Amino acid sequence: MKTASGITWKNLLTLILAVGGTTLLIAQAPANDEAVFPMPTGKTYLNECGSCHTAYAPGLLPARSWRKMMGELGNHFGEDASLEEPQQLEIMKALENLAADSAQASMRMRRINSAIPTNAAPQRITETGYFKYMHDEVRPSIWKRKKIGTLANCIACHSRANEGRYGEREIRIPQQ
Amino acid sequence: MIKRVLLLMLVVGMVAGTAQAESPQQILDGLVAQAGPASAARGEKLFRGKFSGGKNADSCTACHTNNAKAVGSHVKTNKVIDPLAPVAQKDRFTDPAKVEKWFKRNCNDVLGRACSAQEKADFTAYMISIK
Ligand code: HEC
Ligand code: HEC
Ligand code: HEC
Repeated sequence: MKTASGITWKNLLTLILAVGGTTLLIAQAPANDEAVFPMPTGKTYLNECGSCHTAYAPGLLPARSWRKMMGELGNHFGEDASLEEPQQLEIMKALENLAADSAQASMRMRRINSAIPTNAAPQRITETGYFKYMHDEVRPSIWKRKKIGTLANCIACHSRANEGRYGEREIRIPQQ
Repeated sequence: MIKRVLLLMLVVGMVAGTAQAESPQQILDGLVAQAGPASAARGEKLFRGKFSGGKNADSCTACHTNNAKAVGSHVKTNKVIDPLAPVAQKDRFTDPAKVEKWFKRNCNDVLGRACSAQEKADFTAYMISIK
């Protein structure tokens, strides 16, 4: 049977199947490439590095940044974040294993790392190229809201940041 | 022999497991043993007072708000901070090492020096007294 424009039912069905299939593939692609970073196991990192701010995912900075930071915890952005030796060693090891330039780094982590000059050891995630690129549409009038205050307050918008999850579907921007 | 070793490990494990979890009252008792009797009224003065010695904040309430039963917010990072009073947040004043660590940091932030055993005892007594 032929329709007026010459499209057969069979052709139409194939087209529908093809479009449907492609849509499914597209819908799944972001799931594989979701912005999920590995986090240190156990509670030490969350307790010691997640008490004053978000427990930042180690994969957001290269190991040299973390090494520098861990060597200066007595004066950490003007605060005393110093640790007992066992915790210090445990956290340093986890940071090195999961850093942006670690052996098992994901594509996203490699991208973060490649935007940082090899002779630099940035201490702020918010000053790295990748972070700025990802947030260039988030205006100050938004992040200066009372419940956010600073862009370093990841968890105010990324509700599951302490689990390393920054995917778009888990973003909730506070309205005030 | 193996049984004894296992038993020993079990006992050590239990002691180690309980060593860090104390009640707020036990923590207060420990501080009072160093300082002498505590005063909740003096503790409240420390909590609400304004100071100029520290470089990060002028008061405890800057981060913990003036209601110890309410959720606070870190002055520099804006991260939410659970309430300090055990009545509102039940794991407060249950881990002596944690309590010591934050007295050390926060007294320095606000007063520019460590708190005395007396100040810590008073502050803890005030927090426990909040109903
Ligand atoms: C006593 C409070 C405190 C503790 C504990 C603490 N930090 Fe911080 N941290 C801060 C403050 C304050 C800043 C600066 C915030 C600002 O100026 O925006 C900061 C900033 C940072 C930043 C930069 C954020 C950005 O991109 O701007 C990183 C990364 C960081 N901390 C990692 C850590 C790690 C890792 C640990 C655990 C070893 C830790 N912090 C423990 C208070 C703390
Ligand atoms: C004011 C709210 C806000 C804060 C605070 C914030 N973000 Fe975001 N973030 C966003 C928004 C909105 C996007 C989505 C950008 C887009 O897709 O155009 C995003 C995207 C991202 C992405 C990419 C997600 C993806 O799917 O590719 C990452 C990774 C990320 N943020 C990490 C962070 C980190 C780390 C911090 C803290 C240091 C932070 N963000 C703080 C709002 C925020
Ligand atoms: C710059 C912000 C800031 C200031 C100012 C501040 N605190 Fe804190 N305080 C914190 C943070 C962050 C924590 C730990 C976060 C958590 O456990 O939720 C904390 C925790 C504590 C704890 C630990 C209680 C427990 O058992 O969990 C005590 C005690 C404490 N603060 C006392 C004080 C006293 C006393 C002052 C004033 C001299 C003060 N704080 C001022 C940020 C602050």
